[in-house]
Amino acid sequence: MDTNPIVSLRNVCKWFGQNEVLKDITMDVASSEVIVIFGRSGSGKSTLLRCVNLLEEPTSGHIEVDGIGFEAGPHTSRLRRATVHDIRMRTGMVFQEFNLFPHLSVIQNVSDAPGTVKKMQKKDAEELGMHFLEKVGVADKKDEHPIRLSGGQKQRVAIARALTMQPKVMLFDEPTSALDPELIGEVLAVMKDLAGELGMTMMVVTHEMGFAREVANRMVFMHEGSLIEEGPPAELVRGAKDPRTQRFLEAVL
Amino acid sequence: MTTRTVDGVRDAIEAWLGRFSFRTKLAVVWAFIFVALAVLFVAFQFDTQFMVDWLPYILGGVPLTILISVGGILLAVPLALVAALARISSNPVLYGVSGFYISFIRGTPLIVQIFFIYLGLPQLASYAPEALAPLFILGSVTSGILALGLNYGAYMAEIFRAGIQSVGYGQAEAAQALGMTRWQTTRRIVLPQAVRTIIPPTGNEFIAMTKDSALVGIVGTQELFFRASKIGRQYFHSLETPSSPR
Repeated sequence: MDTNPIVSLRNVCKWFGQNEVLKDITMDVASSEVIVIFGRSGSGKSTLLRCVNLLEEPTSGHIEVDGIGFEAGPHTSRLRRATVHDIRMRTGMVFQEFNLFPHLSVIQNVSDAPGTVKKMQKKDAEELGMHFLEKVGVADKKDEHPIRLSGGQKQRVAIARALTMQPKVMLFDEPTSALDPELIGEVLAVMKDLAGELGMTMMVVTHEMGFAREVANRMVFMHEGSLIEEGPPAELVRGAKDPRTQRFLEAVL
Repeated sequence: MTTRTVDGVRDAIEAWLGRFSFRTKLAVVWAFIFVALAVLFVAFQFDTQFMVDWLPYILGGVPLTILISVGGILLAVPLALVAALARISSNPVLYGVSGFYISFIRGTPLIVQIFFIYLGLPQLASYAPEALAPLFILGSVTSGILALGLNYGAYMAEIFRAGIQSVGYGQAEAAQALGMTRWQTTRRIVLPQAVRTIIPPTGNEFIAMTKDSALVGIVGTQELFFRASKIGRQYFHSLETPSSPR
């Protein structure tokens, strides 16, 4: 593993009005590392993830993704736009609710952004899109519209859509929480391949402890906006030191 | 008659009516309405010959009515789109100006707006630089198109805004996470989805605008209503004339 972190957060704080959602978060993610972030709902895990690609702008602190730094605070809108864009070009995100574009077919869903954003030729974008649709196993649905897909298929298309932009880091925001239990496995399998085969750097907010133990290099427990404890899954699951971590693990395991 | 007999008769009628479908009964109702109208037609001595004589003249207003309606639509749609996008923008100037436009237009009667543009603007011409003065003095057709376009633009802006806001926020987030700019997100992801919500009520607005084009007749545009009412007043046949074209 590379020793230089590909994602680094320094003293990141986020306020929503009077509500402090992230409290002085500092963490590094190494290249090819898989990090599982877990904790109660409302503990700030999603906000943390959304700060990495600046869907939420931190109130204070510093974020760096693959060499692109963003310091919270006042910026000219031109600088902000450029930095936000550079960071988003290096990150891919998968949402709990899939957020596929319902008016586009599967192949258009995955190839639209490379065409629009990277100005790729349509043919090349579709070729690349097909490559990733094959990777996630939904190539045969390329001409369907998302409404005709099952939840698991939708989420796999969403993963392919993010991969087609060829990001350095993938952010997964509870990717299996909206799925029927029998469909969770197919999505986790794709994520497992992604970590193993492609060596993708991944930050995953999930409560799938089986997945965490099998795939994650590190697990991070969050509580009320703070990082409480972290460690390799085997150690953390068996030997959590903080009582809040222990209580949470007891409840979900 | 005893209660028993009344109930019996009622049951018999109900049984008889039950043999006919809803559609059949509806057809009877419509037929009755038409017969009643025909009776009125005859009883009040509708001058059909008068109608036939003047129909071509009145229908001569059709092209102008169509021109005003289509012109109004062509003006209203882009105006509404711009106003709707401005209404959801975070730019205070765009937000403020579009807010004023929408509230002002929706808060005043269309007929007043037509008068304002046709009769009020020329008054301002004397203050304008000479070269620009003609821009303030508009013909009745131009005034009508401008007034209808501005008016319906404001109403349709609210329809467009609602349609745009009905697209879930997750769609914009997903697009932005892929690196799309706000404008790319709006154009490629949000608007195509909003259009589906927007089209049906917009169709209603087109129909309503075509009907409201009659108001432009008030400032002397020779469209359908102007011609109809002119003839009607002249010969005291106002009952017949509006019935001819509409």
